[in-house]
Parts: sequence; structure tokens; C-alpha cells
Amino acid sequence: MSTGRFLDKSLKFDWVFMIVTLALMTSGVVLVYSATSNEDVVFYESFWFKQIVYFCSGILLAAGIVFLKIHWLKRITVPFYAVALILLCVVLFFAGDVVKGAGRWIDLGFLKLQPSEFAKIAYLLTISYWLSKHPVSLFKIKSFAMPFVLFIVPFALVLKQPDLSTALVFIAVTYVGFFFAGLTLTDMFLLASPVFSVLFSHSQTMAFQILWGLLICAVVFALVRRRLPKVLTVVFLAANILAGYASSMAWNMLEPHQQKRVNTFLDPMSDPLGDGYQVLQSLTAIGSGGLTGKGFGNGTQTNLAFLPEEHTDFIFSVLGEQFGFAGCAFILLLYAIFLWRASSICKLYSDPFITLVTMGACTIFLFHIIVNIAMTVGLMPVTGLPLPFLSYGGSFALTCMVLVGGLMCMRYQGQRE
Amino acid sequence: MYSANENGESQTKSWNVLVFMGAVILFFTILLVRLYSLQYTHYDENMQRSENNRIRKVELVAERGYIYDRNGVMLVRNRPSYQIALSAMGLPRKKADRDSVFNRLLRITDKDGVRIFDSLSVDTAFQRSRWIKNRPIRFYEDASTEQVALIEEHSSELPGVITVIESRREYPYGTLASHVLGYTSEISEEQLKLPEYENYSQGDRIGQKGLEQGYDQEFRGKNGVKLVEVNASGREIGVVDGVEGMAPVPGLHLVSTIDLKLQKVAEEAIPDSAKGALVAIDPRNGEILAMVSSPRLDPNIFSLKRKERNKGWAQVALDAMHPLTNRAISGTYTPASVFKLVTAGAGLENGILSESKYYSKPCTGGYQYGSRYQKCWGTHGNLNVVHAIRLSCDVFFYQAGLDIDMARINEFGRRYGLGENPLGIDIPGEKGGWLPDSASFNAKNKRLGWRWARGLILNLSIGQGQLVTPLQQAVLVGSLATNKGVYKPHLMKELRKSDGTVVKRFEPEIIRPGNMKPETHRVLMAAMDSVVNHPGGTGKRGAVPGIRVGAKTGSGEWKKGEKTHAWYAAVAPLDNPEIAVAVIMEAAGGGGAVSGPIARKVLMAYFGKEDEPK
Repeated sequence: MSTGRFLDKSLKFDWVFMIVTLALMTSGVVLVYSATSNEDVVFYESFWFKQIVYFCSGILLAAGIVFLKIHWLKRITVPFYAVALILLCVVLFFAGDVVKGAGRWIDLGFLKLQPSEFAKIAYLLTISYWLSKHPVSLFKIKSFAMPFVLFIVPFALVLKQPDLSTALVFIAVTYVGFFFAGLTLTDMFLLASPVFSVLFSHSQTMAFQILWGLLICAVVFALVRRRLPKVLTVVFLAANILAGYASSMAWNMLEPHQQKRVNTFLDPMSDPLGDGYQVLQSLTAIGSGGLTGKGFGNGTQTNLAFLPEEHTDFIFSVLGEQFGFAGCAFILLLYAIFLWRASSICKLYSDPFITLVTMGACTIFLFHIIVNIAMTVGLMPVTGLPLPFLSYGGSFALTCMVLVGGLMCMRYQGQRE
Repeated sequence: MYSANENGESQTKSWNVLVFMGAVILFFTILLVRLYSLQYTHYDENMQRSENNRIRKVELVAERGYIYDRNGVMLVRNRPSYQIALSAMGLPRKKADRDSVFNRLLRITDKDGVRIFDSLSVDTAFQRSRWIKNRPIRFYEDASTEQVALIEEHSSELPGVITVIESRREYPYGTLASHVLGYTSEISEEQLKLPEYENYSQGDRIGQKGLEQGYDQEFRGKNGVKLVEVNASGREIGVVDGVEGMAPVPGLHLVSTIDLKLQKVAEEAIPDSAKGALVAIDPRNGEILAMVSSPRLDPNIFSLKRKERNKGWAQVALDAMHPLTNRAISGTYTPASVFKLVTAGAGLENGILSESKYYSKPCTGGYQYGSRYQKCWGTHGNLNVVHAIRLSCDVFFYQAGLDIDMARINEFGRRYGLGENPLGIDIPGEKGGWLPDSASFNAKNKRLGWRWARGLILNLSIGQGQLVTPLQQAVLVGSLATNKGVYKPHLMKELRKSDGTVVKRFEPEIIRPGNMKPETHRVLMAAMDSVVNHPGGTGKRGAVPGIRVGAKTGSGEWKKGEKTHAWYAAVAPLDNPEIAVAVIMEAAGGGGAVSGPIARKVLMAYFGKEDEPK
């Protein structure tokens, strides 16, 4: 304790971060209120009031987390991880909502526990703890073995639920974790390149063929520059080329109706009677907002309940309709500041655990923000990831507040060595 | 990497954070560009669309398939039904305006000045309109055309009030074959939770009981959907350009194995005041020609207005006679003397009985077994197996049963479809029977402390103590007569598309071996023949002129002091069996006297015979 904790308050307490978070939460309540205000129910049964309750309990939770010591956190990662896996197994094999077919909840009566939310946090702590002790390097393939094991179990369990979008959160956290645990930008590009190969070679148009060609060139260039072990060089090249060909071959092997299903997922607008219906309504709502919006409570699209899930997954279209481009840009700005303040925490301390937890939390937020907004503006498939602080929903609100608490804890408890 | 010096490490970290924030800025810029394009470049068209053209998804309900009898006569069809409903999105947003719509609705009266809508159901609909936005909320069912006209007239004062045309089930023959056909009603909360209903949603009308439930998936077809544009007050102005709707696929029609003519005769033969059941089956392929369970219910009550429907439902559900139960497949009764055919068959098959076998103790009105004296219903003297079946003598079968032993008797019965396993008829609710042996008897009566004893064979060998359904009984006599295996009983003959092409035919399927030695068969047939055609036979009241009918009567004791259950199981013609009939009349008396004439009426109708006027 070379630096007295209470001597350096400006370092320990980030007012900007606090204010931005509170501003986002307030916007969330306002939007949920606006989206659901035409349902006359007693106020304590209304969505906006429940959202306030969720946030308040979240704030209490976060305030508690701030006082956790970091060396405690490190110690509880393993049991925490084990509990998360057990809960995932329980929901998968024993409990679960039989009606909907997908088991995601454990109903405790007074609240519905969503183990995948819990697992996000547990996994973040565990992978951060491991990577902080054992940095990874492409020159030491073995260094990826344990992270892979830690990753694949919860990933597979969540995927089995099936909850693809939450499973992708695990990939994002791992990916960014590697970046902060020793991989270079070139390595990151190489790791991601097979995915791009699939995307580019999927379409048979000239432009995409050229893009794919360029990608392969870039991969070759990166490989030459990195001078990776021969085996890895071959693996990366082969993965890219195979991913390209295999994807189009697999595509041709699919039955037409299966192709249609994949297309609908990738491009919801190709199925205006199914998922495309929501996206179509969402686009109309956002687009009709114009630059300054129709004003608070004046959303004709959203208030007439054209959007079935306006207060949860499609809350951003309420924002777009009522507050226009200005409102959207303002919220995006808040998010950017939030991420900037959060990510700057790791620059204060040299402990790699703090770095990894901080950046992992930022990744979880960023992934949700991008996937959700891209969905409402028709750029990405309809997946059902909520928007942090804005979407209605108790389970996710608590997850967000736990992460915020964790970020504040890192800043408050971190020690310079 | 972490072992590098402090400075270099933190520099790398800063660089990495910078890269991360760079990615954030990049992604957010892409989103902003997209938002700008939507909200500025394409603002006009989006504004236009949001102001004028509101797009809605409308579900097009597929027409439910019809049911025909085997000759193509329609047994179940649909009729249009007008519902008056609220469309939440068409209702005014202000509470005061909504209240005035509510009050105007209540003020509407028919020409006699009587209010059409009651305030309770309208109020409930308004309440529900707060959270049900995407489908109409019905508050008045089955409106007459005048009532519909009245609403349309006032449509400008009643924004959000719409009429919906639905189709409802109609059963033109009323109670006829009601247990076979089943009925439809809204899916219940409990059903929604079951895995087999996972593709259904709240408010769906589904088949309940009978063919309606057994073939619900086939009848349903596939709902279609279309996108329509509606104007500000919620009325449709057209289909969305460029978006092709999905037309509904109508459900399949079902041609049943029921023969309407035969069914009618059978229904008339059993009065609704009596409890009983009748099954007529073609033993050559398992097709059920007629099936009656009395008392009946009228499935049309489930298509009525809620009030009348609830009244009708309360009536049938609370009736002590249990009209909802299909006694023909889910009523289990003691088989009584009809079971003697099984005992005799087992004896003949195992060489213990033969036409020349006479027991040392003639029937003198009873039989002494240990300390017990078991009575017979008459005094029959010295008999062989054919005589014993003809006269239904108990004493003969007491001795035969002890000789043959229960295991062999039960084995023979199971060959012909008796026993605990249901036969697998294609409508829900079928029960299995029970053929007790020492193990299952002890297990069933463990709580009572009863143990199996050899003396029980006495009762079981004359069919007192087992359980069978009327369907099993009909299948038993039918397959005994054919001796070519037991076919799965079924009610579906064909499934057809609405244009008449056949999608599926029921393929006859042998489910039990149903075989015996030719000699056994010959003797049993001779016995069944003499039951009807011998002047002293117990079943002579079931004789049909010109047709060789074989049968067995039974009078099942079920409660001391009550009249017996009257059984009659017949098959005809004996040389080349085409139809088997089983009749049971609960607590009605002797089988030959009560149920025999009922079976006879069905057989007469089947063979196209008519009684000469007396």
C-alpha cells in the first residue's frame, strides 16, 4: 500500500464514469416508460417502475462489490466457475421452460435465475485469472490449451440451450482476452481471418471474390511478417482457403429450404412475414424519427404497439423514433464515454488481472451494444441480445450493474506495486 | 511478456486499449452512418410509411377438414360464424374516447329495444385490449346477420370495433356417433403446457376426444399469413406491395370407416336413457362400422355462444350418467359368459376338451368345490362343450377351468386381443382390460390383503372377474370367427385433400396372432352357431333369417341385487365373417333377451333384411 487509498480520491473515484452510467440508466427508464406508457396499470406494476426497482437493487449490489478485495476475487474464481457450470447443467438437464422448448431459466419462485448471465461473469473472472498468470503466444501453442478448455465447456452448454447470441459473448470475451494477454494485432487478424473468409466467399459476386483474394494476400503477408512456426503457418493458410471453399461447398449441399432459413437469419428482410416483420417495423420507426425525432411520447409506431418487443430488444427503435438522429447519437456518445472511462482503468495498474477483467467487461458491453443496435437498424440478424441499461429486463440489468460494480471495484481496490 | 520492463509493458497496454477504443469508434461510426441514412436520406419515405401506411400481420386461419362416412356422406362440416371483437390498435388512445366507445356499444339495441351486449363481457374485452394488441378480442360470439349489419352501420362511431368471420364446427346429425367424432373447443391452459401441443397457441380451437382429437394435426392444415396496410382507424386498405402472403393450406378431409346407415340403426336401437355401448367391426381388416356409447352428447353445443356453451357443458360434465365417456372403448366390464368361448377355445386347443368329452359331474344346478357351493343359472344335465356354450352352463366350465388352468386360458384370450394392452384404436381414450392371474391378482389386491386361490378359477372360467372393453369383445368374436389374426381396429379409412386426392389410406395391420387349430375353430363355430340357431340356444333372439349368425350371450354380475349387465357378441356370416357386433347394456338384465335384439337390428340392416310386418 504505497499509495494511501484515501489520499488519492480523484484516482479512486471516477465521477465521469458514474454520471454517464446514471445518465444511461435514466434514459433507459424514460424509454421504457415511453414505450409502455399506454398500458394503464397501477404504477408499481408498470414496466418503468419495475425497471427502476431493478436498477436500484443493481446499484446496491454494485456498491457492495466495490468493497471486495481483488485478491478475494482471484481466490473465488474457481468455485464461482464451478457453480456457474453446475447451474448451466441444471437448467439444461433438469429445469427449463418445457413449453418453449429452450431451457434458459431456473424458476426460484420469487425470481427467475438465468444461469447464462451468471456464467458470463464467472467466465470473465476465470479466464482473466488464468490469462493473467499464463500469457498466451502463437509461438507456444500449448499456452492455448487451458484457456480453450475453460472456454469450451460453458460455451457448449450455453449453445445447447440453445442461446447462440449469448454463446457468442463468450467468444468475444475470449478473443479480446487473448489480445490483452500477449497476442499482437497481426495475431488477432490471423485468428479472425477464417471468419472473414467464410463471409467473403459466401457470396459469389465479383466484388466479394476480389475481397476474398485480397484477404488471402493479407493473410500471407501477415504470416510472412510474423514468422510463425511452420505448422501454424500452414494451418492458418489452410483454414482460410478451406473455410472459403468448404463454406460454398457446404452451402451447395444444403436443401433449398435450409438455404432459405440461413438467408433469413442473415438477412431478416428476405422474410418479411417472419423476423423481417419486426425489423421492417423497427426501420420504419427509426427512419420516421428524422433528425430530431417526433418528441417524447409521440412515437406513433411504437406507441401503437406495432413492435411486439419494443421495450426489450427493440428499445433502440423507440429512441430512434422519439428522439431522432440526435438522440441516437447522444446515446452512442454516452456509450463511447462509458467504454472510454471503463477501459482507461486498466492503464492505472500493472496487475494483468485488472486489465483483463476491465477489458473483458468492456467487451461484454460493447458486444451487446453493437449486436443489438445493428439488429434494430437491419444490419445484423435478429438475435435477441438486450441493450445495456436501456432494455427492460431484470436479469440483464443486474448483470450490467454487477459489471459496473466490478469496474469500480477494480479502480478502487487496485494497487500500484 | 509481463516480465518485460514496466515501461514497455504499460506502453503495449496503452496501445492495446487504444486499438480497442479505435474499434469502438469504428463500429459506432458504421451505426451512425446507417442511422443517418435511415433518418435523413430516407426520412421522407419512412415518415410516409409511418404516417399513412401502417403495416400489420394478419393470420389467415386454415379451414378445418371435414369428416365423411365410408360412403361419402358428410358427418362434420364447418359453418361461418360472425364474431364481434375489439381491435386494440383501432381503439382511440385517450381514455375518455375509449369510454365513449364503450358506452355507445352498450347503448346498441335490437329492434325490440333489448341491449345486445352485456356490460360485463364488453368491459372484460376493453380490459384485455390494454395488453393484447396483435389479435382481435372477441366479446360477442355467433352474431346474427342483423347484429353484424347493425355494427357495420355504426362503424364510424365505433372505432376499434370489428366483425371477424370464423368458421365453427357443425355436426348435422347431432348426437349421432358423437363419441366417435369428438368435438372442438378452445385449447385449454393445461393442454398448452403439454409437449404435443407445442405448435399451438392460446385461442386455437382444437379437437377434443374422438376423431377430432385423434386427427387434429391432419384436420388443422396450416395457417397462412399476410401483411396488410391499415389506415389510421385500423381498417384494412390493402396488401403491402411486393410482399407475398402465405396462403393457408386447408386441412385434410377424413373418410371414416363408419357406415352412416348402420350407425343410425344402432343409435336408434339403444335409447339415450340407457347406459350402454355397441361396436360393429369388420374383422377382416379392423374397420369399425358403427360405434355407439349411450348416453350421448351433442357436440354442437361446443360451437355455440359462450353462455349456452357453458350451460351445455355444465350439463354433460355434471351428469351422473357420464355422457362424456366413450363406453365403447373406455368402459371396462366383466366379460361374463362371452368369455366361455375363450375358456372353451383354450381347452380345445390344449386337448383337454373335445366334442366327445363329458364331465363326470352333470349340472344339477350347482357345483361343490371344497366347502363352497357354486351355483349355475339353471339345471343342464350332462353336456359336451358345444352344448355347454349353447346353454351357457356354468358347472361345465367350472370343471373345465380347473382342468385347463388360468395361464392357458389367458394365453388364448390374449391371442385374440383381450388383456391389459389397448388395441390401439386411432381415437384417444382407449383403455385396456385385465386378465387376472395369480401374480396380477395379488398385486392388484395387495392393499385388501386378498390372495390368489385356486377357487378363483371357478369364477374366472365363466368370465366373472376379468375386464374387457366392448371394443375388445367385438374384436374377440370377430377374430375367433375369421381365425386369420386380429386386425388393428380403426376409424380412419382415408385422408383426402380438399380436391379429393387421397393422401393416406389406413393399411390393415395384424396386432395379435389370432390363430388356432382348425379343429378348435370348427368346434367353436359349431357352438356359436348353435347359440343362435338351435331352438334351445341362449342367443336365439339374435337370429337373422337367411344368414348364419354366430354369437354368445353374457350376463355380467356387478353388484348384488342389481340387474346384470347384458352382453351380446355376434359375428356373421359364420362361414365367411364380414361383421362382428358387441353390445352391452348396463344393468339391463340377461344378455340374450336385452342385447340380442339390438345386435340383431344392426345385423339385419347390414345384410339389407327387413322384418316382415307382424
